[in-house]
Amino acid sequence: MVTRRLAGLLLRTAARRWPVELRAELIREWEAELHVLAEGGERRRMLRFAASLAAGRAGGPVVDRTVLHRRLRHTARVLLLAPPACVAVVVLAAVVMNLAYAVLDVRLTWATAVQLPLWSGLTAGAGALLALLVTRAARRTVRTGPLPTALGVVLPIALTLTVVLAAFAGRGEQGLPGTVPGLLLWLALLVPALWGAGTLASRGRTRLAWAVGVLGALVAADAAVVLAVVSAIPAPPVGPVADGLPPDTVDRVSAPLWLLTCWTDSSLGLPRPTAWERFLITDRVLVEPVFYLACTPYAVAYAVAAARPAPATEPAPEPVPAPA
Amino acid sequence: MRLTIPVAKVLAALLADPEAPRYGLDLMKLTGLPSGTLYPVLHRLRAAGWLAADWEEVDPVAAGRPARRYYRLTGEGVRDARLALAELRALAPEGGTSRGGAEPTGAPAW
Repeated sequence: MVTRRLAGLLLRTAARRWPVELRAELIREWEAELHVLAEGGERRRMLRFAASLAAGRAGGPVVDRTVLHRRLRHTARVLLLAPPACVAVVVLAAVVMNLAYAVLDVRLTWATAVQLPLWSGLTAGAGALLALLVTRAARRTVRTGPLPTALGVVLPIALTLTVVLAAFAGRGEQGLPGTVPGLLLWLALLVPALWGAGTLASRGRTRLAWAVGVLGALVAADAAVVLAVVSAIPAPPVGPVADGLPPDTVDRVSAPLWLLTCWTDSSLGLPRPTAWERFLITDRVLVEPVFYLACTPYAVAYAVAAARPAPATEPAPEPVPAPA
Repeated sequence: MRLTIPVAKVLAALLADPEAPRYGLDLMKLTGLPSGTLYPVLHRLRAAGWLAADWEEVDPVAAGRPARRYYRLTGEGVRDARLALAELRALAPEGGTSRGGAEPTGAPAW
Protein backbone atom coordinates (compact mmCIF):
# COMPACT_ATOMS: atom_id res chain seq x y z
CA MET A 1 0.00 0.00 0.00
CA VAL A 2 2.80 2.39 0.97
CA THR A 3 4.76 1.39 -2.13
CA ARG A 4 1.74 2.07 -4.34
CA ARG A 5 1.17 5.47 -2.74
CA LEU A 6 4.82 6.44 -2.98
CA ALA A 7 4.93 5.33 -6.61
CA GLY A 8 1.75 7.28 -7.32
CA LEU A 9 3.30 10.38 -5.77
CA LEU A 10 6.39 9.97 -7.93
CA LEU A 11 4.23 9.53 -11.04
CA ARG A 12 2.33 12.74 -10.35
CA THR A 13 5.65 14.55 -9.78
CA ALA A 14 6.90 13.19 -13.10
CA ALA A 15 3.71 14.17 -14.92
CA ARG A 16 3.98 17.80 -13.79
CA ARG A 17 7.09 18.17 -15.93
CA TRP A 18 5.29 17.11 -19.10
CA PRO A 19 3.11 19.38 -21.24
CA VAL A 20 -0.29 19.96 -19.63
CA GLU A 21 -2.26 18.40 -22.48
CA LEU A 22 -0.39 15.07 -22.10
CA ARG A 23 -0.48 14.63 -18.34
CA ALA A 24 -3.84 12.93 -17.86
CA GLU A 25 -3.14 10.24 -20.45
CA LEU A 26 0.40 9.67 -19.20
CA ILE A 27 -0.72 9.21 -15.60
CA ARG A 28 -3.43 6.80 -16.81
CA GLU A 29 -0.85 4.85 -18.82
CA TRP A 30 1.77 4.76 -16.06
CA GLU A 31 -0.76 3.74 -13.41
CA ALA A 32 -1.89 0.87 -15.63
CA GLU A 33 1.72 -0.32 -15.87
CA LEU A 34 2.15 0.07 -12.11
CA HIS A 35 -0.94 -2.05 -11.64
CA VAL A 36 0.65 -4.85 -13.67
CA LEU A 37 3.79 -4.67 -11.54
CA ALA A 38 1.75 -4.53 -8.33
CA GLU A 39 -0.19 -7.66 -9.31
CA GLY A 40 3.12 -9.46 -9.74
CA GLY A 41 4.24 -8.22 -6.31
CA GLU A 42 7.20 -6.43 -7.87
CA ARG A 43 7.48 -3.57 -5.39
CA ARG A 44 11.07 -2.64 -6.22
CA ARG A 45 10.29 -2.50 -9.93
CA MET A 46 7.26 -0.33 -9.15
CA LEU A 47 9.44 2.17 -7.33
CA ARG A 48 12.18 2.01 -9.98
CA PHE A 49 9.58 2.58 -12.70
CA ALA A 50 8.08 5.62 -10.95
CA ALA A 51 11.40 7.05 -9.71
CA SER A 52 12.96 6.86 -13.16
CA LEU A 53 10.04 8.80 -14.60
CA ALA A 54 10.28 11.37 -11.82
CA ALA A 55 14.01 11.79 -12.33
CA GLY A 56 14.01 11.59 -16.13
CA ARG A 57 13.55 14.54 -18.41
CA ALA A 58 10.17 15.45 -19.80
CA GLY A 59 9.36 14.31 -23.31
CA GLY A 60 9.50 17.37 -25.45
CA PRO A 61 10.80 17.30 -28.99
CA VAL A 62 14.56 17.11 -28.87
CA VAL A 63 15.99 20.38 -30.05
CA ASP A 64 18.98 20.32 -32.31
CA ARG A 65 21.96 21.84 -30.50
CA THR A 66 22.60 24.30 -33.29
CA VAL A 67 18.97 25.43 -33.06
CA LEU A 68 19.26 25.70 -29.30
CA HIS A 69 22.46 27.74 -29.54
CA ARG A 70 20.89 29.97 -32.17
CA ARG A 71 17.89 30.52 -29.89
CA LEU A 72 20.16 31.28 -26.94
CA ARG A 73 22.06 33.87 -28.97
CA HIS A 74 18.78 35.35 -30.18
CA THR A 75 17.44 35.51 -26.62
CA ALA A 76 20.61 37.20 -25.38
CA ARG A 77 20.47 39.71 -28.23
CA VAL A 78 16.82 40.60 -27.51
CA LEU A 79 17.21 40.89 -23.76
CA LEU A 80 20.54 42.70 -23.81
CA LEU A 81 19.69 45.15 -26.60
CA ALA A 82 16.20 46.12 -25.43
CA PRO A 83 17.29 48.17 -22.36
CA PRO A 84 19.87 50.27 -24.31
CA ALA A 85 17.13 50.73 -26.91
CA CYS A 86 14.94 52.12 -24.13
CA VAL A 87 17.70 54.57 -23.17
CA ALA A 88 17.92 55.59 -26.83
CA VAL A 89 14.13 56.01 -26.93
CA VAL A 90 14.24 58.33 -23.89
CA VAL A 91 17.08 60.40 -25.39
CA LEU A 92 15.50 60.60 -28.86
CA ALA A 93 12.14 61.56 -27.40
CA ALA A 94 13.88 64.29 -25.38
CA VAL A 95 15.61 65.62 -28.51
CA VAL A 96 12.32 65.68 -30.45
CA MET A 97 10.58 67.29 -27.48
CA ASN A 98 13.21 70.04 -27.34
CA LEU A 99 12.97 70.69 -31.09
CA ALA A 100 9.19 70.85 -30.85
CA TYR A 101 9.43 73.13 -27.84
CA ALA A 102 11.75 75.52 -29.70
CA VAL A 103 9.13 75.82 -32.45
CA LEU A 104 6.11 76.03 -30.14
CA ASP A 105 7.69 78.47 -27.67
CA VAL A 106 7.62 81.38 -30.13
CA ARG A 107 3.98 80.74 -31.06
CA LEU A 108 2.27 79.49 -27.90
CA THR A 109 2.30 80.93 -24.40
CA TRP A 110 1.62 77.50 -22.85
CA ALA A 111 4.39 75.69 -24.71
CA THR A 112 6.19 74.92 -21.43
CA ALA A 113 3.16 73.00 -20.18
CA VAL A 114 3.36 70.50 -23.06
CA GLN A 115 7.05 69.69 -22.64
CA LEU A 116 6.70 66.75 -20.24
CA PRO A 117 3.47 65.34 -21.76
CA LEU A 118 5.14 65.47 -25.18
CA TRP A 119 8.26 63.71 -23.88
CA SER A 120 6.16 61.06 -22.13
CA GLY A 121 3.86 60.59 -25.13
CA LEU A 122 6.73 60.18 -27.57
CA THR A 123 8.46 57.76 -25.18
CA ALA A 124 5.30 55.72 -24.65
CA GLY A 125 4.72 55.49 -28.42
CA ALA A 126 8.29 54.42 -29.14
CA GLY A 127 8.17 52.04 -26.16
CA ALA A 128 5.03 50.43 -27.59
CA LEU A 129 6.76 50.00 -30.96
CA LEU A 130 9.72 48.43 -29.22
CA ALA A 131 7.30 46.10 -27.41
CA LEU A 132 5.87 44.99 -30.77
CA LEU A 133 9.35 44.20 -32.06
CA VAL A 134 10.23 42.32 -28.88
CA THR A 135 6.98 40.33 -29.02
CA ARG A 136 7.81 39.20 -32.55
CA ALA A 137 11.37 38.39 -31.53
CA ALA A 138 10.11 36.42 -28.50
CA ARG A 139 8.73 33.75 -30.86
CA ARG A 140 12.29 32.58 -31.48
CA THR A 141 13.71 32.95 -27.98
CA VAL A 142 14.36 30.21 -25.44
CA ARG A 143 11.33 29.26 -23.35
CA THR A 144 11.98 28.98 -19.64
CA GLY A 145 9.85 29.40 -16.53
CA PRO A 146 8.17 32.70 -15.60
CA LEU A 147 10.70 33.56 -12.87
CA PRO A 148 13.84 33.03 -15.00
CA THR A 149 12.13 35.02 -17.77
CA ALA A 150 11.36 37.89 -15.36
CA LEU A 151 14.95 37.87 -14.12
CA GLY A 152 16.18 37.65 -17.72
CA VAL A 153 14.29 40.86 -18.48
CA VAL A 154 15.16 42.78 -15.31
CA LEU A 155 18.87 41.95 -14.94
CA PRO A 156 19.88 43.43 -18.35
CA ILE A 157 17.93 46.59 -17.42
CA ALA A 158 19.91 46.75 -14.17
CA LEU A 159 23.13 46.24 -16.13
CA THR A 160 22.25 49.03 -18.55
CA LEU A 161 21.36 51.38 -15.70
CA THR A 162 24.67 50.59 -14.01
CA VAL A 163 26.58 51.43 -17.19
CA VAL A 164 24.64 54.66 -17.75
CA LEU A 165 25.00 55.79 -14.11
CA ALA A 166 28.71 54.94 -14.17
CA ALA A 167 29.14 56.99 -17.34
CA PHE A 168 27.38 59.99 -15.80
CA ALA A 169 29.30 59.59 -12.55
CA GLY A 170 32.51 59.64 -14.57
CA ARG A 171 31.51 63.06 -15.87
CA GLY A 172 31.16 64.34 -12.33
CA GLU A 173 27.34 64.49 -12.31
CA GLN A 174 25.99 65.34 -8.86
CA GLY A 175 22.94 63.73 -7.30
CA LEU A 176 23.31 60.30 -8.90
CA PRO A 177 23.47 58.42 -5.56
CA GLY A 178 20.01 59.77 -4.76
CA THR A 179 18.53 58.00 -7.78
CA VAL A 180 19.83 54.55 -6.84
CA PRO A 181 17.29 53.55 -4.13
CA GLY A 182 14.36 54.39 -6.39
CA LEU A 183 15.83 52.48 -9.32
CA LEU A 184 16.58 49.47 -7.12
CA LEU A 185 13.05 49.47 -5.73
CA TRP A 186 11.62 49.69 -9.26
CA LEU A 187 13.74 46.74 -10.43
CA ALA A 188 12.88 44.71 -7.32
CA LEU A 189 9.14 45.26 -7.74
CA LEU A 190 9.25 44.73 -11.48
CA VAL A 191 10.40 41.12 -10.98
CA PRO A 192 7.22 39.90 -9.19
CA ALA A 193 5.05 41.86 -11.64
CA LEU A 194 6.66 40.12 -14.63
CA TRP A 195 6.75 36.80 -12.79
CA GLY A 196 3.01 37.01 -12.13
CA ALA A 197 2.30 38.04 -15.72
CA GLY A 198 4.40 35.15 -17.04
CA THR A 199 2.73 32.64 -14.73
CA LEU A 200 -0.73 33.68 -15.89
CA ALA A 201 0.33 33.72 -19.55
CA SER A 202 1.75 30.20 -19.23
CA ARG A 203 -1.72 29.10 -18.09
CA GLY A 204 -3.27 30.64 -21.19
CA ARG A 205 -4.79 33.63 -19.32
CA THR A 206 -3.21 36.21 -21.58
CA ARG A 207 -5.52 39.19 -20.87
CA LEU A 208 -5.19 38.79 -17.13
CA ALA A 209 -1.44 38.40 -17.59
CA TRP A 210 -1.28 41.74 -19.40
CA ALA A 211 -3.42 43.40 -16.73
CA VAL A 212 -1.26 42.05 -13.90
CA GLY A 213 1.97 42.90 -15.73
CA VAL A 214 0.99 46.48 -16.58
CA LEU A 215 -0.57 47.21 -13.18
CA GLY A 216 2.38 45.66 -11.37
CA ALA A 217 4.85 47.67 -13.45
CA LEU A 218 2.88 50.87 -12.74
CA VAL A 219 2.91 50.12 -9.01
CA ALA A 220 6.67 49.46 -9.21
CA ALA A 221 7.28 52.76 -11.03
CA ASP A 222 4.98 54.69 -8.68
CA ALA A 223 6.66 53.26 -5.60
CA ALA A 224 10.08 54.12 -7.01
CA VAL A 225 9.05 57.74 -7.65
CA VAL A 226 7.50 58.03 -4.19
CA LEU A 227 10.69 56.70 -2.57
CA ALA A 228 12.87 59.10 -4.56
CA VAL A 229 10.71 62.10 -3.66
CA VAL A 230 10.15 61.20 0.00
CA SER A 231 13.85 60.57 0.59
CA ALA A 232 14.83 63.93 -0.95
CA ILE A 233 12.00 66.39 -0.21
CA PRO A 234 10.63 66.80 3.32
CA ALA A 235 6.97 66.90 4.23
CA PRO A 236 5.51 70.35 5.08
CA PRO A 237 5.88 71.36 8.73
CA VAL A 238 2.78 71.86 10.83
CA GLY A 239 2.18 75.60 11.33
CA PRO A 240 2.13 78.87 9.37
CA VAL A 241 4.32 79.39 6.29
CA ALA A 242 7.31 81.64 6.99
CA ASP A 243 7.67 84.82 4.91
CA GLY A 244 4.63 83.86 2.84
CA LEU A 245 6.88 81.94 0.42
CA PRO A 246 6.01 78.39 -0.62
CA PRO A 247 8.18 75.97 1.36
CA ASP A 248 10.40 73.42 -0.40
CA THR A 249 8.19 70.60 0.81
CA VAL A 250 5.74 68.21 -0.75
CA ASP A 251 2.58 67.06 0.98
CA ARG A 252 2.51 63.23 1.10
CA VAL A 253 -1.25 63.10 0.57
CA SER A 254 -0.82 63.14 -3.21
CA ALA A 255 1.98 60.53 -3.27
CA PRO A 256 0.14 57.94 -5.43
CA LEU A 257 -0.24 60.57 -8.16
CA TRP A 258 3.41 61.57 -8.38
CA LEU A 259 4.21 59.15 -11.18
CA LEU A 260 1.42 60.62 -13.32
CA THR A 261 2.57 64.09 -12.27
CA CYS A 262 6.03 63.32 -13.59
CA TRP A 263 4.61 62.09 -16.91
CA THR A 264 2.03 64.84 -17.43
CA ASP A 265 3.27 67.82 -15.36
CA SER A 266 -0.29 68.08 -14.13
CA SER A 267 -2.29 67.48 -10.96
CA LEU A 268 -5.13 65.99 -13.01
CA GLY A 269 -7.55 68.62 -11.68
CA LEU A 270 -6.84 67.78 -8.03
CA PRO A 271 -5.70 70.35 -5.41
CA ARG A 272 -2.49 68.40 -4.73
CA PRO A 273 0.25 68.39 -5.76
CA THR A 274 0.32 72.19 -6.14
CA ALA A 275 2.21 73.85 -9.00
CA TRP A 276 5.18 74.42 -6.68
CA GLU A 277 5.11 70.81 -5.50
CA ARG A 278 5.01 69.67 -9.13
CA PHE A 279 8.06 71.78 -9.81
CA LEU A 280 9.90 70.25 -6.84
CA ILE A 281 8.91 66.69 -7.80
CA THR A 282 9.86 66.99 -11.47
CA ASP A 283 13.03 68.81 -10.52
CA ARG A 284 14.01 65.88 -8.31
CA VAL A 285 12.71 62.98 -10.42
CA LEU A 286 12.76 63.85 -14.10
CA VAL A 287 14.34 61.14 -16.24
CA GLU A 288 13.61 57.99 -14.22
CA PRO A 289 9.80 57.98 -14.70
CA VAL A 290 10.26 58.42 -18.46
CA PHE A 291 12.72 55.52 -18.48
CA TYR A 292 10.19 53.38 -16.57
CA LEU A 293 7.65 54.32 -19.24
CA ALA A 294 10.04 53.27 -22.02
CA CYS A 295 10.84 49.91 -20.43
CA THR A 296 7.41 48.81 -19.19
CA PRO A 297 5.78 47.92 -22.54
CA TYR A 298 8.59 45.70 -23.77
CA ALA A 299 9.21 44.11 -20.35
CA VAL A 300 5.57 43.05 -19.95
CA ALA A 301 5.28 42.08 -23.63
CA TYR A 302 8.31 39.81 -23.40
CA ALA A 303 7.22 38.23 -20.10
CA VAL A 304 3.81 37.39 -21.59
CA ALA A 305 5.02 36.34 -25.05
CA ALA A 306 7.84 34.13 -23.77
CA ALA A 307 5.57 32.36 -21.28
CA ARG A 308 2.64 31.59 -23.56
CA PRO A 309 2.26 27.86 -24.09
CA ALA A 310 3.65 26.56 -27.36
CA PRO A 311 1.17 24.85 -29.69
CA ALA A 312 0.67 21.18 -28.86
CA THR A 313 2.67 18.76 -30.95
CA GLU A 314 0.71 15.69 -29.91
CA PRO A 315 0.04 13.57 -33.00
CA ALA A 316 -3.39 12.13 -33.61
CA PRO A 317 -3.24 8.51 -32.48
CA GLU A 318 -3.89 5.89 -35.09
CA PRO A 319 -6.12 2.98 -34.15
CA VAL A 320 -4.16 -0.01 -32.96
CA PRO A 321 -6.02 -3.22 -32.27
CA ALA A 322 -5.58 -4.62 -28.80
CA PRO A 323 -3.75 -7.89 -28.62
CA ALA A 324 -5.78 -10.94 -27.86
CA MET B 1 14.31 12.70 -36.19
CA ARG B 2 17.69 12.70 -34.44
CA LEU B 3 18.70 9.09 -33.89
CA THR B 4 20.06 8.76 -30.38
CA ILE B 5 21.04 5.38 -28.96
CA PRO B 6 17.81 5.00 -26.92
CA VAL B 7 15.78 5.89 -30.03
CA ALA B 8 17.68 3.30 -32.05
CA LYS B 9 17.06 0.69 -29.35
CA VAL B 10 13.33 1.37 -29.31
CA LEU B 11 13.12 1.32 -33.11
CA ALA B 12 15.06 -1.93 -33.29
CA ALA B 13 12.77 -3.52 -30.71
CA LEU B 14 9.67 -2.39 -32.55
CA LEU B 15 11.03 -3.45 -35.94
CA ALA B 16 11.64 -6.97 -34.63
CA ASP B 17 7.90 -7.47 -35.12
CA PRO B 18 6.38 -4.33 -36.66
CA GLU B 19 2.83 -5.65 -36.45
CA ALA B 20 2.98 -6.47 -32.77
CA PRO B 21 1.63 -3.78 -30.47
CA ARG B 22 3.94 -3.18 -27.51
CA TYR B 23 3.25 -1.62 -24.13
CA GLY B 24 5.67 0.35 -21.98
CA LEU B 25 6.90 -2.45 -19.70
CA ASP B 26 7.30 -4.69 -22.74
CA LEU B 27 9.52 -2.12 -24.44
CA MET B 28 11.49 -1.51 -21.25
CA LYS B 29 12.25 -5.24 -21.11
CA LEU B 30 13.16 -5.45 -24.81
CA THR B 31 15.41 -2.39 -24.83
CA GLY B 32 16.76 -2.37 -21.30
CA LEU B 33 15.85 1.31 -21.06
CA PRO B 34 14.48 2.76 -17.81
CA SER B 35 11.00 4.30 -17.91
CA GLY B 36 12.43 7.81 -17.57
CA THR B 37 14.28 7.35 -20.86
CA LEU B 38 11.72 5.24 -22.69
CA TYR B 39 8.63 7.45 -22.43
CA PRO B 40 10.29 10.64 -23.76
CA VAL B 41 11.55 8.55 -26.71
CA LEU B 42 8.04 7.21 -27.33
CA HIS B 43 6.69 10.75 -27.21
CA ARG B 44 9.26 11.94 -29.75
CA LEU B 45 8.49 9.04 -32.08
CA ARG B 46 4.76 9.76 -31.85
CA ALA B 47 5.34 13.46 -32.51
CA ALA B 48 7.36 12.50 -35.61
CA GLY B 49 4.51 10.30 -36.83
CA TRP B 50 6.59 7.12 -36.65
CA LEU B 51 4.63 5.61 -33.81
CA ALA B 52 0.91 5.13 -33.17
CA ALA B 53 -0.60 4.59 -29.75
CA ASP B 54 -4.00 3.44 -28.61
CA TRP B 55 -5.70 2.17 -25.53
CA GLU B 56 -6.32 -1.49 -25.00
CA GLU B 57 -9.99 -2.31 -25.50
CA VAL B 58 -10.76 -4.09 -22.26
CA ASP B 59 -13.42 -3.67 -19.63
CA PRO B 60 -11.38 -2.67 -16.54
CA VAL B 61 -13.98 -4.18 -14.21
CA ALA B 62 -14.10 -7.52 -16.03
CA ALA B 63 -10.33 -7.63 -16.55
CA GLY B 64 -9.62 -6.53 -12.98
CA ARG B 65 -7.04 -4.00 -14.18
CA PRO B 66 -6.98 -0.68 -16.00
CA ALA B 67 -6.56 -0.56 -19.80
CA ARG B 68 -2.97 -0.21 -20.96
CA ARG B 69 -1.62 1.86 -23.83
CA TYR B 70 -0.04 0.05 -26.74
CA TYR B 71 2.43 1.29 -29.29
CA ARG B 72 3.06 0.20 -32.85
CA LEU B 73 5.10 1.60 -35.73
CA THR B 74 3.10 3.33 -38.44
CA GLY B 75 3.73 2.50 -42.11
CA GLU B 76 5.84 5.61 -42.42
CA GLY B 77 7.58 4.71 -39.18
CA VAL B 78 8.51 1.22 -40.39
CA ARG B 79 9.99 2.61 -43.63
CA ASP B 80 11.84 5.54 -42.03
CA ALA B 81 13.05 3.51 -39.04
CA ARG B 82 14.56 0.86 -41.33
CA LEU B 83 16.32 3.54 -43.34
CA ALA B 84 17.57 5.33 -40.22
CA LEU B 85 18.90 2.15 -38.62
CA ALA B 86 20.52 1.09 -41.90
CA GLU B 87 22.28 4.45 -42.08
CA LEU B 88 23.36 4.07 -38.48
CA ARG B 89 24.81 0.64 -39.18
CA ALA B 90 26.58 1.96 -42.26
CA LEU B 91 28.28 4.57 -40.07
CA ALA B 92 29.43 1.99 -37.55
CA PRO B 93 33.05 0.78 -38.02
CA GLU B 94 33.43 -2.58 -39.79
CA GLY B 95 33.70 -5.45 -37.32
CA GLY B 96 33.40 -3.04 -34.42
CA THR B 97 32.75 -4.57 -31.05
CA SER B 98 29.72 -3.85 -28.95
CA ARG B 99 30.35 -1.07 -26.44
CA GLY B 100 28.45 -1.73 -23.31
CA GLY B 101 25.00 -2.02 -24.82
CA ALA B 102 25.40 1.05 -26.96
CA GLU B 103 23.96 -0.74 -29.95
CA PRO B 104 20.32 -1.42 -30.56
CA THR B 105 19.15 -4.59 -28.94
CA GLY B 106 17.04 -7.16 -30.68
CA ALA B 107 17.47 -8.25 -34.26
CA PRO B 108 15.86 -5.76 -36.62
CA ALA B 109 13.59 -7.50 -39.09
CA TRP B 110 15.11 -6.32 -42.34
